Amino acid sequence: MHRIPFAMASAAIAVALFAGPSALAQKPGGTLVQITQPEPPNLAPYISTSGPIGQVTAKVFDGLLDYDFDLKPKPALAESFTVAPDGKTVTFKLRKDVKFHDGKPFTSADVRFTIMDVLKTNHPRGIATFKEVTAVETPDPHTAVFKLATPAPYMMMALSGYESPILPKHVYGVGDIKTHAKANEPVGTGPFRFVEWRRGEFVRLDKNKDYWRAGQPYLDRIVVRFIADASTRTAALEKGEAHVAGFGAVPYNDVKKLGALPSLEVTTKGYEMISPIVELVINTRKPPFDNQKVRQAVSYAVDRKFVIDNVWFGFGKPAMGPISSNFAPSGLYAAGIDFTVADRIERANKLLDEAGFPKKADGFRFEIVHDITPYGEEWQRFGEAVQQALAQVGIKATLRYEDVAKWLKRLYTDYDYFISSNFLYNLADPVLGVHRGFHSDRIKPGTVFVNGARWSTPETDALMDKATVEADAAKRSVLYKDLVQKVSEGSPVIYVLELQFPTIVNKQFRNVITGPLGIYGNFATAYRQ
Amino acid sequence: MRSFRQRFLGNPRVALGLAWLGLVVAVALLADVLAPKDPFAIVGAPFAPPAGDFVLGTDSLGRDVAAGLIHGARTTMLIAVLSTLAAVGFGAIVGAVTGYYGKLVDDVLMRTTEFFQTIPSFLFAIVLIAILSPSAVNLVIAIATVSWPPIARVVRGEVLAVRSREFVQAAVVAGQRDSAILVTQVLPNTLSPLIVTGSLLVATAILFESALSFLGLGAPNQMSWGFMIGAGRSFMREAWWLVMVPGVAILLTVLAINLVGEGLNDALNPRLADL
Repeated sequence: MHRIPFAMASAAIAVALFAGPSALAQKPGGTLVQITQPEPPNLAPYISTSGPIGQVTAKVFDGLLDYDFDLKPKPALAESFTVAPDGKTVTFKLRKDVKFHDGKPFTSADVRFTIMDVLKTNHPRGIATFKEVTAVETPDPHTAVFKLATPAPYMMMALSGYESPILPKHVYGVGDIKTHAKANEPVGTGPFRFVEWRRGEFVRLDKNKDYWRAGQPYLDRIVVRFIADASTRTAALEKGEAHVAGFGAVPYNDVKKLGALPSLEVTTKGYEMISPIVELVINTRKPPFDNQKVRQAVSYAVDRKFVIDNVWFGFGKPAMGPISSNFAPSGLYAAGIDFTVADRIERANKLLDEAGFPKKADGFRFEIVHDITPYGEEWQRFGEAVQQALAQVGIKATLRYEDVAKWLKRLYTDYDYFISSNFLYNLADPVLGVHRGFHSDRIKPGTVFVNGARWSTPETDALMDKATVEADAAKRSVLYKDLVQKVSEGSPVIYVLELQFPTIVNKQFRNVITGPLGIYGNFATAYRQ
Repeated sequence: MRSFRQRFLGNPRVALGLAWLGLVVAVALLADVLAPKDPFAIVGAPFAPPAGDFVLGTDSLGRDVAAGLIHGARTTMLIAVLSTLAAVGFGAIVGAVTGYYGKLVDDVLMRTTEFFQTIPSFLFAIVLIAILSPSAVNLVIAIATVSWPPIARVVRGEVLAVRSREFVQAAVVAGQRDSAILVTQVLPNTLSPLIVTGSLLVATAILFESALSFLGLGAPNQMSWGFMIGAGRSFMREAWWLVMVPGVAILLTVLAINLVGEGLNDALNPRLADL
């Protein structure tokens, strides 16, 4: 008799040792407070890419796919997908057990509606992402077939719940999508359902009890708080009143201090699908910057390490070209000319001498105006550091700081500038985030964050066009290697640093940052210890 | 009764204020001699505390705080004095014309003045800078634009009181032109309140310039005290001197101007001072 309980007990211990800790730890319950800065203008991620929106709505909407840190797709609303050999047909098999928050089932009609009627026509980036999609066929409620005009491998990287949220047709299909009544009360299939948005204070999201990932989410509630003052945000994290914050919500110089506290941890993971790059964009049609040597000289002159250490307090690494090193796992990363060499100042001076701009009696070669990205303090400091770096090689720069609208018009409509700091995301694929910076078809007056340098060459255009339709990763990697080298020689844009945003997470909560979208993730697996 | 000079300079508070202002003006004039380098130059390790290699330490980029303070004195005083002069000039003209002509001119100009007065002046200045884009000239324009209405009202009141006096009527009878009467007869009699209000306006202008720079709307190429506070405020907990040094400079300067302004008021209106 007594043997059996013993055997049972040892079996129980074995199970506990094997799977116990996680099963024990992931107990349901708890409220996670996330800080999002600034408050989003709306909760309609299908028509606006304004940063803070996705931090809220990615918990409410699912995408067809998820991604791991190496940017490999994982199943989400789509259980699986197959790409036809010619790359022009992509078939998604959809989950059958998914319900929207209002209880209605999710079907292929919702996918067709979302892609064709909403994202392809209204989403700022979706217009490019889904440009090649000519139709979404729905042979049955659980199959969606994307028909493409030309292969678009990059599209497969843009199907997350953040980038391409799947909307219920029966809700958003009624009425004008641009001014929809549910724009601020989102309805999706995600792990959390929208409850309340108290303006200026918080958004409350509660657990979706019918979520299709069994047992998830573990948290009962997410409260997204909006705190306008930076030091109050820092204090809230310090005191444990808030538990997670990312994307520069906490001043960089405070992050180190917070990271030293036993209750908090700091990670720079979770931005692999965003890959922000701090750069200087140059007006390549305005003398003296129409000269490639002058542009290279500026690139040598900028002290990347100084900027990383003293402006962004260590949260970055030198950018070696237009493509972020986050693409190293997928083989698309390549480094261009190394502008960080020890004798960079001598090289810059030599290039400027060769370009025909000798130093005059006052020590300067020529004068320019340097525009500063109007995004706040660190950008002003960055501008001042660049000004000093340019002075070192004999370029006298005057700083100009305008509001966002004026600055954008100057760079992308009037092209009335010499050189400006700028901030662009590589996004999930170079086709989405990198090509726009220097492809000739992106010289579009009035369209912002495209080729404001107005630089292009037939060779680089051809390389990008090939890389856009090339499905084979190894072949793409060869094309990008060549492209990066050519762009770095031309230096229409000076890639200064890969910004590594810090995310601060309270250690009470685990599994919060679980993928390349970081705080744009859905937090389904987050739990309280 | 003592002379104006005795009443003014004999006041110990005025003497203190003038001493500090004299120092600030001297530093502003001699900025290039005292700190020959560009105040934006990166000269050392960031966040060096005061009393080390640099008397007042360095800021987040390694710029010399003492050099910033010296060159900041020049920018801050220049912008404050110029914007005050512009405000006083414009305000005095408007005030004199409305007060002297009265009737429709008075109505139109005073309603316009009131329109400007109903807009909170600091917010108005922010809006102006946002529209004009930050630069030293635009700062002067913005500060002057929000500062002239009180001057206009003070001058108008004085002119109203003076214009019916016999010597003005005598000038009219003598055939003097309106402009000559205004300049030679009327305005000189409004000077004392104008000087007092104007001197206090310099203090307000310094605060305006500092506050705008603090918000990042200052002139990006001129080192000023407000700029130094704006650039240092994020590091208040780690590097107190970044905010403290220019903050104390602003405090003392504004205080000194107020002491001198009140001294002027007491000296120019001795009967009021005795009350």
